[in-house]
Amino acid sequence: MGETTRMYLYFEATAALYTVTVIAVLLCIAGILTTLALWRQGKARSLHRTLNSAAVARSFITDVVFQAQILKISFVRWLMHFCIFIGFMGLLAQTSLMAFISHFSAPESFLAQSFFHGGGSRVLDVWGDVFGLTMLFGLAIAIIRRYVVRTRQLETIAKDTTSLVLLTAIGLSGFICEAFRLMDPQYADVAWYSFAGMTLSQLLQAAGIGAASYTAWVWSHAVISFIFIAFIPFSKAWHIFVSPIEIVLDASERA
Amino acid sequence: MDNENNTTMNGTDDRHESAATAPAAESAPAAQNAAPKLPIEKLSARQLLELDACTRCGECSNWCPAYDQDNREPLTPRGRATQFRDIIRRQYGAFSAESFLGKLLGKKQVSAQELSGFAKDLYACSTCMQCHFVCPVAIDTVELWERIRECIVDTGFGPLPTQQDLVLKTKNYDNPWGQPRSSRARWGKVAKKKKRINEVPKDISKDKADVLYFVGCTASYDTNVEEVGINTVNIFEAAGVDYGILGNKEKCCGSVLLRMGDAASFKRICTENIEQFNALGASTLVTSCAGCLKTIKEDYARHGKLNFEIKHTLEYVIDLIKAGRLKLTQPLNMKVTYHDPCHLGRHAGIFDAPRELLSLIPGIEFVEMERNRENSRCCGAGGGLKSGYPDMQNQISQKRVKDAVQTGATELVSGCPFCYQGLQIGIQAMDAPIKMRDITELVCMAMGLAPATHEDTEDAEE
Ligand code: HEM
Ligand code: SF4
Ligand code: SF4
Repeated sequence: MGETTRMYLYFEATAALYTVTVIAVLLCIAGILTTLALWRQGKARSLHRTLNSAAVARSFITDVVFQAQILKISFVRWLMHFCIFIGFMGLLAQTSLMAFISHFSAPESFLAQSFFHGGGSRVLDVWGDVFGLTMLFGLAIAIIRRYVVRTRQLETIAKDTTSLVLLTAIGLSGFICEAFRLMDPQYADVAWYSFAGMTLSQLLQAAGIGAASYTAWVWSHAVISFIFIAFIPFSKAWHIFVSPIEIVLDASERA
Repeated sequence: MDNENNTTMNGTDDRHESAATAPAAESAPAAQNAAPKLPIEKLSARQLLELDACTRCGECSNWCPAYDQDNREPLTPRGRATQFRDIIRRQYGAFSAESFLGKLLGKKQVSAQELSGFAKDLYACSTCMQCHFVCPVAIDTVELWERIRECIVDTGFGPLPTQQDLVLKTKNYDNPWGQPRSSRARWGKVAKKKKRINEVPKDISKDKADVLYFVGCTASYDTNVEEVGINTVNIFEAAGVDYGILGNKEKCCGSVLLRMGDAASFKRICTENIEQFNALGASTLVTSCAGCLKTIKEDYARHGKLNFEIKHTLEYVIDLIKAGRLKLTQPLNMKVTYHDPCHLGRHAGIFDAPRELLSLIPGIEFVEMERNRENSRCCGAGGGLKSGYPDMQNQISQKRVKDAVQTGATELVSGCPFCYQGLQIGIQAMDAPIKMRDITELVCMAMGLAPATHEDTEDAEE
């Protein structure tokens, strides 16, 4: 890794990659704005009481963060969602941190040194694999419930499938990218911190698959992630933002 | 007109014929044409957000009494939210069927036929609020359904024909049964004549009193449940309560109008009632009807200030007992189960009081049904379901009666004349070995008073 090359996470920051990121984020923002504009057409009163901050805080912790209301109904459903939720949030935190450091701190700064070469990067290696696996585990339960067991209460429309497919594709392609990256000898000393990626890496190598398609996989992973981001306001992923709002507002109104 | 899924509505679809209830009815478009734009300004921003907040987890479908009878997705809260969201997004915003982007994406216009089908399913709901209590994202479902109904009424697609009759009568006669105003207080006079009460309740508008007893339309007009009023009066008399009724000046609380989506008419009746109530100077309004209680306590409060407290009879009776004004001394050796009326329990949060009152009655063995309190199974009578889909209501009621019979109880007690009517339908259909009783009946018996019962009323009629 040349010290002077700007990196985009582990990947060289090309203009093309930046362009796609910007387009995805802009589409997402545009989608959010059109949705907000639609909501604003509702003229009836939304709240009939002043906001009760204690109730908001309480329900945020129990029903948004820990989702005790789902646990009360079913452990499997809670486990499924908690894994998707925590896994996704963990990956988002990791990616955001790395993106932030790549772009906003000098390559020789302590942050960059630590998180790209030092102890920080080892933490992130383990972190990424743990949360990635957690999310995939949750998604596996969701897919089994929806398409294999076909739980009676689930009724599937395209929106449900797209969200599951996109998230699963993000998780799997992420691990594949990591596995190919770890084939590069420069990571040999630290590769096992990425225990899941490294296991996959070895399996791929054993199957005679080399890292030739690394760039293509990184692009696939990036593009799928960007599609996910661009469609947030139109997809089921929108509930990540909207459901918590409804949960806390209702708690406040009924407090 | 779409008659395909119109199986439970007597096969008719003359929704637009009784014009008075549906403002746009005369000009309602033919079914094949594009539907009029729904007035989404009637909803709040939060309600529009709620449509996006549904995670489609389907928990609501496990509990909805209407879906339980008619397993079609559009009847589930999930299906309803999804469908309505889709409809308004094809009518409004950057991706509407008329917009450039909408056309590019091939979005279809909402047809009148589609809206008509949606409306039918929208009214197959008893507004029982069970879905809210099981929804992991706590969507305020019933409030949402009622506002959506308002949009549907505004565009002339609701309520359903049989429900329109109810709305029309409430507007014209101030009661949903279409009975003359002048006979509203008749029950009291008849009861006095038959010596079932000592005195005809006094007219509170002429002679001030501490308590306004709001009898409600069902207990006032339906002779099958008039014992609710009679028992309440006897309890008040025995405890020396200074009370009065509005007599023929009492008007429907307007619940029917609000639940059915006729918000404008509701607002009128609510404003008139608030004015009338406030002028009385009473300290407390007591009602025996769960629907009236919910409407006056929760919905009126959004339209004006009320200068009195609002209590359900059973709460007021507990106060009387605690104040030592009422003594329950006669043991009633009965096995009793209690049905939480949706509008008293889930809607108004009154779960403990009825159980407390039953525990104060000596000799009663109280058993809970498996589904109780927040998860109490609806009797199907509310929200216009009984008038719109009577067969479905009958089936729902039978399920609830089965719950009650399973406990081994001999008495099925509740605190709402409307549930009384609703459950009685199930009891009769099944010829079930359980007796429907209003909670005031048990109080009278425990006081050593001869309670007025449903049988008394039947005997009296013969
Ligand atoms: C932040 C607060 C969140 C709340 C309150 C919430 C709530 C819910 C609920 C109630 C369900 C239905 C679960 C079930 O069927 O049992 C659900 C489904 C789902 N959630 Fe969340 N969620 C949140 C965040 C997230 C996050 C961060 C993700 C990650 C992307 C996520 C992804 C999903 C997915 C993929 C499903 C669909 C599962 C399926 O349909 O099979 N959620 N969510
Ligand atoms: S309020 Fe009751 S009947 Fe209506 S959708 Fe919800 S659960 Fe079903
Ligand atoms: S329970 Fe709530 S979130 Fe789940 S499908 Fe029903 S309305 Fe949507």
